[in-house]
Amino acid sequence: MARRVSKNRIVLSLLAKYGTIFGLFIMAGIFSVLAPNAFPTFGNFLNVLNQASLSMIIAGGLTVAVVVGELDLSIGFAASYAGVLVTGLIANQGLPVLLAIVLVLGCGGLIGVVNGLIVTKVRVNSVIATLGIGTIVVGLNFAYSTGAPIVAGVPDAFTQIALGRIWGVPNDVLITAVLVAGLWILVERTPVGQSIQAVGANPVAARLCGIRVDRIKILGFTIAGVCAALTGILLASSLGSGTTGAGDSYLLAAFAAVFLGSATLRDGEFHILGTCIGVLIIAVGFNGLAIFGAATFYQYLFQGVILILAVGLSSLSRYFAEK
Amino acid sequence: MSDAPFVSVRGLQKHFGGIQALKGVDLDIFPGEVHGLVGANGAGKSTLIKVLAGVERPDSGSLLIDGVEVQLSGSQQAADLGLSFIHQELNLVPCWNALENIMLGAPKRTHLGVIDWQAIRNQVQPVADKVGIHFPLNVPIARLSPAEKWLISICRALVRKARLISMDEPTASLSIRESENLFRIVRALAGEGVAVLYVSHRLDELMALCPRVTAFRDGRRVMHSERNALTRKQLLEAIVGGEAPVSANNPIQYDNLRPPLLRVSGLVSGNSIRGVSFDLQQGEVLGLAGLVGSGRTELVRVIFGADQPDSGTMMFADRAYAPRSPADAVNFGVGLVPEERRAEGLFTGKSLAFNLALANLRDLRIKPWLPLLDVRRRADIAREIGSRLQVKASSIGTIVDRLSGGNQQKVVIGKWLVRTPKLLILDEPSRGVDVGARGEIHRIIRELAVQGMSVIVISSESEELPALCDRVLVMAEGKIVRELRGSTITRDAIVHASYHHNASAA
Repeated sequence: MARRVSKNRIVLSLLAKYGTIFGLFIMAGIFSVLAPNAFPTFGNFLNVLNQASLSMIIAGGLTVAVVVGELDLSIGFAASYAGVLVTGLIANQGLPVLLAIVLVLGCGGLIGVVNGLIVTKVRVNSVIATLGIGTIVVGLNFAYSTGAPIVAGVPDAFTQIALGRIWGVPNDVLITAVLVAGLWILVERTPVGQSIQAVGANPVAARLCGIRVDRIKILGFTIAGVCAALTGILLASSLGSGTTGAGDSYLLAAFAAVFLGSATLRDGEFHILGTCIGVLIIAVGFNGLAIFGAATFYQYLFQGVILILAVGLSSLSRYFAEK
Repeated sequence: MSDAPFVSVRGLQKHFGGIQALKGVDLDIFPGEVHGLVGANGAGKSTLIKVLAGVERPDSGSLLIDGVEVQLSGSQQAADLGLSFIHQELNLVPCWNALENIMLGAPKRTHLGVIDWQAIRNQVQPVADKVGIHFPLNVPIARLSPAEKWLISICRALVRKARLISMDEPTASLSIRESENLFRIVRALAGEGVAVLYVSHRLDELMALCPRVTAFRDGRRVMHSERNALTRKQLLEAIVGGEAPVSANNPIQYDNLRPPLLRVSGLVSGNSIRGVSFDLQQGEVLGLAGLVGSGRTELVRVIFGADQPDSGTMMFADRAYAPRSPADAVNFGVGLVPEERRAEGLFTGKSLAFNLALANLRDLRIKPWLPLLDVRRRADIAREIGSRLQVKASSIGTIVDRLSGGNQQKVVIGKWLVRTPKLLILDEPSRGVDVGARGEIHRIIRELAVQGMSVIVISSESEELPALCDRVLVMAEGKIVRELRGSTITRDAIVHASYHHNASAA
């Protein structure tokens, strides 16, 4: 009897840690069986990665912010603004593509710095602070674009960034891979990353260890802001235009992926690898639904259900495993 | 005072882990009695109160209310029986007003399902008048002084028809005049038949206010006496016990030619530090003793840069030292092991290696110019510190939550040993740590001092410092009131100085 209990416990704690990964493979398996000609192909594999890449960048940045223990609700609006700003600077102000991109990335970083300063120095709760800054960013967006999409005068040099391929692999996927590797190294394998994790785990203890907690938090917001801007730039590049609301929906997708990821491998902890799994689950699900020709509303139903299901099951099985 | 006790406790025993907090305690509290309860930290006072409050269940022994045995299943039941507890921290809701706090948790009169505050105010006002509340009841609690908050807490107890009110260190943050006002109210309550269990470290107060005093030591009742049959000296002996002091095994040679590592002069910070000056030698273990609220913790927070002083100067290793943050202090070579281990020292949910690396991240780069974490060196350091401090863990990847309290404490200390700070400050290093681990922690501290590290140890347990320190400074009311060296460091001397300062000043 006692052995059975401990066996159940092992199963439950395995489920808590690897449940999302199992889920991902099961989903991929089902799609492969149901659509053997469409789903399990190399082309579709790249397609899934391509669709996942923009979400991955913004969710990766958000992961750093949540690891330091803060939420950032401004990232979707920052992404939209970045898309409008980069196309505008190129098409209307005639800036070179590279310079425009660097400026806009800096602008995303600046949004993050402002978020961080308001949270750490003015001591506003991060939900409120980033909601406020996000709303201001929407305002700036409309002020710059007057709400009209920027379509005319976007050069091929800019659209080729997202649409181009190297050895058949879309540029978006390559950029994302480099960025995710960088973020993972930053968080998991650098002294700064240890400080980032420490601040999230226990800010009081971190301060008493001699870590400058405020700076680390500002850094977390800055990374989230830069990543949001990068997502916005790549989105504008792939659309060939800057639209005022183009990146807004990435906010919810990023949060869904980050929290799905927290239910992966580590007990309720946020981490880059988990976020990758979270982004992939959503991307594979969307891809499968698209292959079967499901209506758009199913995507939202799927995203909501999978989020609640994965995080709920993981935390329940952790609870029962420890009981 | 009537003949039959309101509350009777018989043979109460309670243990926490390996520690026997109560070893068979008897106590009678009569209606209309102000009953003093005294004892050193860890003597079992708080455990007794927790049992009476229904928060902890005793292992054995019985509790009788009005002569009827009861088994308390929770704090609500204790409240229903007329037992009321005012803790030192008062547990008031700061953003609520006085009336809402008074009624917190009490059944409220409603009108059509809506709380009828006007009726409640009419019901509470006479009680408030009785305890001397002269301010409107709609004032937010955050705007009240500590004394006024005490009155609110007493009023809350009376509204709930308390027949016993336990007060924990009520005068700790009150002025003399406010204290006298409180004594007047306590006496008036007793006159109306309410029993008061008065817990205090201040012997003069107990002698003046309490007709009967009970003293605890090491989980036993060691004295139970009428006031007129009691002297201050007897009370002190009862608290301290007659144990022989143990002196430090490697006493430092004081050498006046060497400059001190840390020189503190004229430090003032608010009301908690009122002019503190002292020197700390290299390789010295300096104890900071004193009652809770004497300013010890505030002093080390200033030394560590966690708080800024109002005035005063510090020198560290012959350099001007004014840390504006703990990070500054760490850069100077100061480390702190905080009092609240779990809340302020430990990164829960993280591994042993993670915790041990955190104070030394700069040294864990693969190359000085390459900001990548040297994971292998981190593991080596974790293993080395782990074996040096004899941390019992299955591996360096073990999540620290799974370690025992003593081993967690070693982890919190251990993170400072990698870079070997010049000064290590330990606030209550053996709180919540069992006897074996405590011995090991003491051994570690002495070893570090022999290697030349200076150590400041804060401890509320008066038997801890004699065994550990070369020198002890006793603090009271924000000042250093006594300096003890070598063989003069005894438990007696520390307790005497802690309690005696106001008697000698008066």
